[in-house]
Amino acid sequence: MRHRGRGLAAIEYPTGMNLGGDPSQAWIKIKPDGRVDVFAGTVDIGQGSRTVHTQIVADALGVPYDWVTMDVSNTDSSPLCTGTFASRGTFIGGNAVRVAAEKTREALLAIAAQEMEVDPNDLEVVDGEVRVKGTPTQKLGVDEVAGAATYAYGTIVTGSGGWMKPASEPDPETGECDPHAAISYAACVAEVEVDDETGEVVVTKLIQAYDVGKAINPTMVEGQIEGGGAMGIGLGLLEQAYPYYPTLEHRGDRFGHYLMPALKDTPEYVNLIIENPSADGPFGAKAIGEMANNAQPPAIGAAIHDAVGVWITEMPATPERVLRALDEREQRAPRRDGKWLIFDDDISITAVSSNGGDGFIHVSLPAADVSGSGGGGAAGPRRPDPGDPGVARGSPA
Amino acid sequence: MKAVGARFPRYDGLLHVTGRTRYVDDFKVPGMLWCRTLRSSIDSGRITRLDTSRAEALDGVYAVLTHEDPDRNVVGHLEDLGVPPDMPLLAEDEVRHKGQLIAAVAAESEERAQQAVDMIEVDYEERQPFLDIRKAFDPDQPQVTPDGNVYFYDPYDHCRVRKGDVDWAFEQADVIVKGCYRPQAIEQAPIETQAALAIPEADGKMTVHSTTQAMYFSMGIVAKFLGVSLNQIKFVGGTVGGGFGGKVDTAVEPIAALLARKARRPVKYRSTREEEFLALWTRAPWHIEIADAVSRDGWILGRRTLTLHDAGAYTGFSAYGAMKHLHHSAGAYTIPNVFMNSYVVYTNHVPTSAMRGFGVTSVSFAVETHMNRIAGELGISPWELRLKNGNRIGDLTPTRVKLEDPSTVPTILACADAAGVELPSEYAQMTPGERSGELLPEHLEDQLGKADAWRNR
Amino acid sequence: MRLMVNGAEQEVDSGPLASLLHVLREELDITSPKAGCQQGGCGACTVLVDGKPQRSCLTPLASVEGAMITTVEGLGDAGELTAVQQAFYAKYGAQCGYCTSGMMLAATALIDATNGDGVTRQEIEEVMGGHLCRCTGYVKIIEAVEAASRGETFDLEELRRAGTAGGEETMILDTGGQS
Repeated sequence: MRHRGRGLAAIEYPTGMNLGGDPSQAWIKIKPDGRVDVFAGTVDIGQGSRTVHTQIVADALGVPYDWVTMDVSNTDSSPLCTGTFASRGTFIGGNAVRVAAEKTREALLAIAAQEMEVDPNDLEVVDGEVRVKGTPTQKLGVDEVAGAATYAYGTIVTGSGGWMKPASEPDPETGECDPHAAISYAACVAEVEVDDETGEVVVTKLIQAYDVGKAINPTMVEGQIEGGGAMGIGLGLLEQAYPYYPTLEHRGDRFGHYLMPALKDTPEYVNLIIENPSADGPFGAKAIGEMANNAQPPAIGAAIHDAVGVWITEMPATPERVLRALDEREQRAPRRDGKWLIFDDDISITAVSSNGGDGFIHVSLPAADVSGSGGGGAAGPRRPDPGDPGVARGSPA
Repeated sequence: MKAVGARFPRYDGLLHVTGRTRYVDDFKVPGMLWCRTLRSSIDSGRITRLDTSRAEALDGVYAVLTHEDPDRNVVGHLEDLGVPPDMPLLAEDEVRHKGQLIAAVAAESEERAQQAVDMIEVDYEERQPFLDIRKAFDPDQPQVTPDGNVYFYDPYDHCRVRKGDVDWAFEQADVIVKGCYRPQAIEQAPIETQAALAIPEADGKMTVHSTTQAMYFSMGIVAKFLGVSLNQIKFVGGTVGGGFGGKVDTAVEPIAALLARKARRPVKYRSTREEEFLALWTRAPWHIEIADAVSRDGWILGRRTLTLHDAGAYTGFSAYGAMKHLHHSAGAYTIPNVFMNSYVVYTNHVPTSAMRGFGVTSVSFAVETHMNRIAGELGISPWELRLKNGNRIGDLTPTRVKLEDPSTVPTILACADAAGVELPSEYAQMTPGERSGELLPEHLEDQLGKADAWRNR
Repeated sequence: MRLMVNGAEQEVDSGPLASLLHVLREELDITSPKAGCQQGGCGACTVLVDGKPQRSCLTPLASVEGAMITTVEGLGDAGELTAVQQAFYAKYGAQCGYCTSGMMLAATALIDATNGDGVTRQEIEEVMGGHLCRCTGYVKIIEAVEAASRGETFDLEELRRAGTAGGEETMILDTGGQS
């Protein structure tokens, strides 16, 4: 029989490498006809950074989008980018090209101010023209300014810059630190159908809301929401490199054995973009890339519970796991102990480790459990006080 | 016209739809050789003999690479951040996982390279593998590294976050909910496999076409294996057929470059799909235990977490990922009292690495499943539980960063609206603005004050 | 052996058991079919053999002697993009682009078989279900195929230059200034 269920998850995700200290750089030159070459290091792995960065440069400089060429092809001509990971492309890479574009605009205005005999502070760049603020008829094309720079002044209109969240060092005792450049948020509602005879779960609909600060390119944000949605379905229902983890049995070496979402797994999508800007982001942007596959697995898990009343806590919820959970519903019911409600006792460290997990600082458990039932006779001699912050193996102190 | 906010088609879209985008594998140069690799067939053991002589003698073979060839054979991906290097590029006297690289061949064709690989003789003395991270401190278990099965974060064998007074929270709690969460290893599986084409130039420099997601990062790593400065290498890339984290690993570039240097010919190493699945790094499996101290009316007063991160056989990026995980173990919620530990555990699995959401995908799954369980236990709507505890402007994260622009509330409300979920008006009207009134109970009044009280006691 | 590729006759040296993928890429420098897995599992190497999609990685050269082989390089006339190509561009059917050639050829064969009547979601699933894409989540690929099957065309130059106005399908909520 098929059962329908709906589940919710809400998440946050940081922008930039954890603990910061991960710079990106860019430099820009303007050709004699005003067209703009950007050299940056952000690799476009398909997420679309080349497009997004081009849009950022166009607006930060004040020229049409199609005047801008984005070169990220090699390390001889492009300056450093720490890399396309940690959801840093739009925010940190984007800030780098923004800063370089602003520097380039300053250089452009300095030439234009000489040509037009006005104060550069009275000038703005709009749609490829340098205009006197408030007197838009008094203007020079960016092409004319760049031509003058090249042939009248013998110089180059160029600018470069970088952006970085300075590195933060965590306090070793408390972990206090400032680890992120920004934080994005998302919520996801998954609707599923669960077949209680086969254990098969189908995601029928994903409603997802992402706060991206500013959608530099809304269609590309949708692409991340939908692509992340598929990947989240893979994480939640299909994919595992070790089907019987932690054993090594049945590892797949081909797509036919390792199941990732295919076209038929595509649910109905409702995409919601929220723009709650980040003060430090380029045009207020935060990030979306990585977080886009984080909310679906728990939302799917909650939907399965809503449908058939079992929690799947070993992701993915394969048919085998769903059927086992249904079969073992009674044995795996949570244990009550005073005010404690303890789920998943059978897969906990205490149950599996031969010494009850001695050496780890335990998640606090009621006394009954700590002193007894932990899987095996060789219970460790020393049970660290769960509240004791000082228990550490190998500590030099 | 504003470009920002407009729906421009992909910058490279016309190239994509005409099949003209040039990916690494689409580059070909005269005299180019192909690479194939010999990888460990066992999970753990000593290499007692490695004989490449028959492979080297085969016609059409230009170079065979072993651990003796790199200038440095052990380079750490995060050694510049203080994480000690531990993984040999090519195995020397031991292998710690199936698929570990032992030797590589450059030959005139892929078939010939594979023939040569098949002629390399290697003998092992097998050991029992260690696989279950929950047994990391069990005395009867095999040791993956000479220093044990757990990575050492100075000054502890784990990284940690402490804020507030978690004992107070657990005493105050009406209910304490505990659960275990075990997200599994995942393959990044971009459709383009990792590939590199290394071209030794006439002036001694090396050009490397690469599928890396991070050109300067990968260039730095290759430079260390080659023992050269950055002006001796030029990375060409920027156009990649999907990454998802796996192409930060820089698995093929050093091999192609070292083979090219040895053979004095261009070498292309295009990893096979079998290598991608069985030998190259995966997203990590995790074991996460959470206990939350909760009040009947739905406040999360405190949280204890214990996370074990399966690093596989070598450190890789794991020290970084497990700490990032830790810093996000409160999820999108404000929990004033936390006690959270994160461990990196070595096993004889393939080393684990970054994948989309590195460190956080796992804890999002754990925290959100846990939130739903708490809601069920308290008989509170999962929407209201989340909105009530959700991050607000001015709240502190577990690492004590003041939040300026959190969106727990608007993202959830947008979903509720689209899903047709009716919420009581005090929830439906919520904003992410600073806490006040009923949303500012005593235990949230002075988050930092409580935190410092704990620290100074 | 002689091969007909994209309307031109080609002489190739590879043996009869060489894969068509290898011959196209390494001998003829036709690189739009990609070696995504060489196991027949992803569809990135798909080409049309006498108008029907086929995985070139599993196709021995001897089996296509005398057949008409079409790759993306052979789509359209004189630089004009086909409806499928236009739609994949305009509808964002590609992200990283690595599966795109195979996807477009499968879609082309599907649409060619339907005489311009449009295709259903079910037909797309049946014909393209074995083509893996790791980036897009397939939504925009499906939309592109549907648009092409209806014969929709696009002003590519205008799109490239100016994009389109925002906010078509997605609700954008501005919560700035909440504080």
